[in-house]
Parts: sequence; C-alpha cells; structure tokens
Amino acid sequence: MANIKLDIFRFDEAVDDVPHRDVVDVDIPETTTVLDALEHAKAEIDGSISFRRSCRSAICGSCSMNINGVTGLACKTPCNTVMNDEGLIKIDPMPNFQPMKDLVVHMDPFWDKYHRLKPYLQPNDPDSDHERERRVSPDDMKKLVDVANCIMCATCYALCPVVSVDPAFAGPAAIAYAYRFIEDVRDGQRKERIAQISEDYLWLCAHCYACSYCPKHVDPNDRIIDVKRAAIKDRVMMDERGPRHALVVTKTIKQTGMLAETEVVLGTVGRFNVRGMIKVTPQAMRMMASGKLTPFEMVAGTAAPMLGQPSMKPIPKVDEVRTIFDSLEVPVS
Amino acid sequence: MSTTLLPEEVPLDSHRKSRSAQTRRYGFFPGCVAKESCKELFNSTMLLADKLDIELIELTAASCCGASVLNDVNRDVARVLNARTYAQAEALGLDDVITICSTCTGHMRAANKELLESEERMDHANSILAKFGAKYQGNVMVRHLLWLLIDDIGLDNVAKMVVRPLNGLRVAPFYGCHIIRPESVNGWESARNPHSLEDLIAAIGGEPVDYAGKTRCCGFHIQLEKDDVAANMVGQNMRMAKDHGAEAVITPCPLCHLALDSYQLDSAARWGRTDLPTFHLPQLVAFALGVPAEKLGLNKHLINPRNVMVERDLIN
Repeated sequence: MANIKLDIFRFDEAVDDVPHRDVVDVDIPETTTVLDALEHAKAEIDGSISFRRSCRSAICGSCSMNINGVTGLACKTPCNTVMNDEGLIKIDPMPNFQPMKDLVVHMDPFWDKYHRLKPYLQPNDPDSDHERERRVSPDDMKKLVDVANCIMCATCYALCPVVSVDPAFAGPAAIAYAYRFIEDVRDGQRKERIAQISEDYLWLCAHCYACSYCPKHVDPNDRIIDVKRAAIKDRVMMDERGPRHALVVTKTIKQTGMLAETEVVLGTVGRFNVRGMIKVTPQAMRMMASGKLTPFEMVAGTAAPMLGQPSMKPIPKVDEVRTIFDSLEVPVS
Repeated sequence: MSTTLLPEEVPLDSHRKSRSAQTRRYGFFPGCVAKESCKELFNSTMLLADKLDIELIELTAASCCGASVLNDVNRDVARVLNARTYAQAEALGLDDVITICSTCTGHMRAANKELLESEERMDHANSILAKFGAKYQGNVMVRHLLWLLIDDIGLDNVAKMVVRPLNGLRVAPFYGCHIIRPESVNGWESARNPHSLEDLIAAIGGEPVDYAGKTRCCGFHIQLEKDDVAANMVGQNMRMAKDHGAEAVITPCPLCHLALDSYQLDSAARWGRTDLPTFHLPQLVAFALGVPAEKLGLNKHLINPRNVMVERDLIN
C-alpha cells in the first residue's frame, strides 16, 4: 500500500468566491487509477468531493480533468505514472471551462458548438423515404470509424490554446465531428456543413497538435486538415483569409520552390484591402527597421505577383517542383 | 511527468546513429524563413557548425517542406516534395538531414514516416520523381540541430567547448509545437515534459526557466487569420515566462522567434509589457562557444537582447 496525496482544487460556485485546495491522503495501491483514488477519497474521507464519472473504462468520456498540468481521462491514468516522489498528485478541473463544483465544469460552450453542427444525418431524399435502408461501402465507412470513436470527453477542447484566448473557435472535437458528417455519403448537406464550420473559425486552428493527445485516437488535428481540404475542393467560402492563405502559399512554392513571405502576407490580407493593409503596416515597418525585411523584398513581393512574375528568385531546378505540383493536380487558386 | 496518454506507436529512427554523424558531414535544410526574414539564423548556424567542427552541406535545390499549409490543399504534395529533398541528400551521399526549424522538423519527419511506412506511397512518390530522373531510396533521417548537439556532439562536450558561459542568464525554453508533437512523428523526447532545451541552456552556463508555456503554441500559423488571437497566444506564454523570472527566451524555431519577437508588443494591452528578447538556438550556443556577438545578427531582432546581455556582463 502506498500513501497517495491528492491535492484537489475545491470550489463551489454556489457559496465560494475563490477556490481553495485540499490535500487528501489515500491508502491504495499506486497502480490504481487517479479516478479510483478520487472514488476512494470520496467514499472514505470526504464525501463532498465532486467530480464526473461513470464507466471507469474510457468509454463514457466523463472524467477528463487536469492531472499535474496535463489534461486527460482520470480513469485511464494510473497514479504511479503521474505522482511525484512524495506521492503527490495535483488535480484541477479541465482548463478552458468555468468550474462549477470542484472538478465538475460547465460544459455548455462545448455542447453548444457541438449542437451547431446539427450532429445527425440529413439525407437529401424526401421524408417518405426515410424508413429505407441506407447502405455504405466498407471503404466509405472506413473514413468515419475513427471519428465515430469520439467520446466527447472534451480533453482536446481543454488542451486547445486557441480556445483559451478566443472562445469563439469551434475547437478540435466539433471540427472532427463536422468531418464525420461532411464525409458521410448518406448526408446531403456537405456544402452547408463546410460553410457552417468555416464560419465557426475552422481556419483558426493553429496547427499545434495539442489535440493529438486524444485518449481515443480520433486525432482531431488530422481531421481539421481533412475538412480544410474539403472546403478547398468544394470551393466553399474561398474569399476568406484561410483558403486564400493556403492557396497563395501553394502558388509561391510552385513558382519559386520557396514560401515567399512577403507575397504570402499580401496575398492573404488582400492587396486591395486597405484596412487590412493598414493593420499589417506597423508590423512591416518594424521588420524593415530591424532589417528583417529589406525594402527590395517588400517591393518585389508587392509588384511581381501583379506582373505575373515570381516574387523571389526560384530555387535551382524549380521545374522539378512544378512537375510535382502538376502531376498531383494541385490547385493554386 | 505523465506518460499515460502518449501514443503507443514508437517513431522511426529517433536516435539512430547516421553515417553522416560518423563522418561529421550532414545534409542541411535551412528552410524558407532562415533564407528570408531570419537570415541571422542561417548565418549563426554556419558559424556554430565551424565551432563544432561539423560540415553542414546545404541542400541548395531543396524546396519548402510544405510548412503545414500545403496539407490543407493537397494530401500528397508535401510528401513528394520532401521525397525530392531526401533524394538530393542521398545523391550527395548523405543520410542525415539537419533542420533548424521546428515546423520543418515535424513536417519533414511526418513525410518521411509516411514514405517509409508504406511501399505504395514510396512507389507513388518515386513514380513522380522518375519524371526528372530522381529516386528516393529511403535512407534519410531528419533531425533538428538541437538533437544533433545532444546525440552526436554530447552536452558534456558542448559544455567543455564553452568559452563564454552565460553567467546564469535566466533563459526560458520555447520548443515550438512541431519539434515535439505529434509524438508519433517526433518522439525524440517526451512531448509532455521535454527537457532538451533546458539541458542545453544549463550546458552553456544559463539557468533554465520552468514554465507551463514552454510546450505551447506561439500562434504563428494564424497571425494572418486573426492577428489579435495570435498576439494573445504570444502574450499568454511570455507572461508565464516573465512571471517565472525569465530574462530571455531561446527557441529552435524561427517561426516561434518571429511570433514572440514581433507580437509581444501587440499583446501588451492584455498581458502587460514582457519585452523578452528571443534568441535563435544557434545564436546563443554560438555566442557561448566564442563567436563574436556582432556576427550573430542580434540587431535584427525587434526586441534587442543587448540590454539583457549587458546586465549579465556578457557584452560591453
């Protein structure tokens, strides 16, 4: 028997102004999970400790919490992998959520974003046909099974750095679930769904892979890329900055072999977008003042694309790069 | 600290000793940013290589790695572009491609993993490379200069080469997402709790600062999408670093450098002034190994590290 100390975030929104912490000693084998340790503490020591849990087997998605600064399922985390030499484990509610009571948080923003997806099939055929069987080939289904494993534990949402500074961002789980319907051959709302998730800031994903810690290997990071590709393929909301940025990067790499920075900035913001240009000007001036950007690069990046020319010197054998782009029929606009 | 949620897959070739390591001749992939807005990174890398007595052979005809953006447009193009780069390294007899950018590291390793794990994808890439007479045999590994310093040179040896220790300068490490995540692609060290940069800072006489922001995102990739969000991500992380006593930041990624260096000012309204100078990894190591400060392009930084270095008696 090891003595494990749980250092628990305590807060009751109904009575407390500020949170405090309690350290609870539990005598259980150190190979038990953090969830079992919490259950033990609640049953034997302090019945008021609150946390969500149900299946204890990483199926229900209830018990995600922050364990020593790392968010994940308490039922999937053995104590001995996280405790320090003194047996201490620090437990906090999931970040990016308002705490309600102890480790229980208000999940509303997460569910709101999920509901906005209309997370059910919307076939195109008339209502009278809804009783019939809709068959899906194994190949078409294969694309969906990984995402269908999502247990909506919100671990990815809690880990997302973009959500932490801009709660308007749909977050990884919602985008991954949008993919699940966008790529479902039985669904008839593909374009509408892509437009909806684009409006909910699909393109605000920062490519950080924080959501690659998904406990069910849904890998929202890769599904977000899939949805972006679907948006470009179906040409949905192509005037937005996200798709414009992706395509101008692609164009400069095809033309020069390199990502031509100045042209990418101008092409994304829009050369004729006066307000956007005024906004990036101070940044550009600072970069020119420090020598990060030379006036020549600035002028070349601005003028050359208007003349249909590469904005910087292409790499040697750039024809090979163009052959690759052409062979794969990569769109550049 | 936690390892419970890590992917079970073990990545390829993380610590394999390459032939390049034995001959001290490496393929060198500087990446776009080191050739464009962060030329000081390229220059200080070459100066550091001289001090380390290794030869970095630049792959001058290499293309962009895809920068995480090409994937948004096409599933295959970044993989095939990188296969072309690896074929160039092989043609020069090199089996180790060294990067100096976290984003290049992650995306080039991801492409290599996809190629090496699937004969179908390798054949597909080679069928396109064949159009201009190239072929990738699958012998290349991609590593960051940071890993070379630790695996091939060894931090004990780096410490022995130090002629100008950093006098306890409190340096906050900032890893940059793609050198650690996803762990199934990088896996050189724990993505949850990496310590290679801390070890390096200590080896050159600095004091590493521990803070939660070190493995978080700098927001670079969404600067053009919504610059206030990107600036807040910088501010949030730099606030944490500053509150933990940091005087400067070191990063293995020029994208992070650009974000941290140029957006701290824009985030000051919400997070307060932080003004932490951000060193490229090779700049600070080269300085400790005796490269004169004026050769490192420190004046190209928007937040000039000069004051901090004078305070620590590193320069006059």
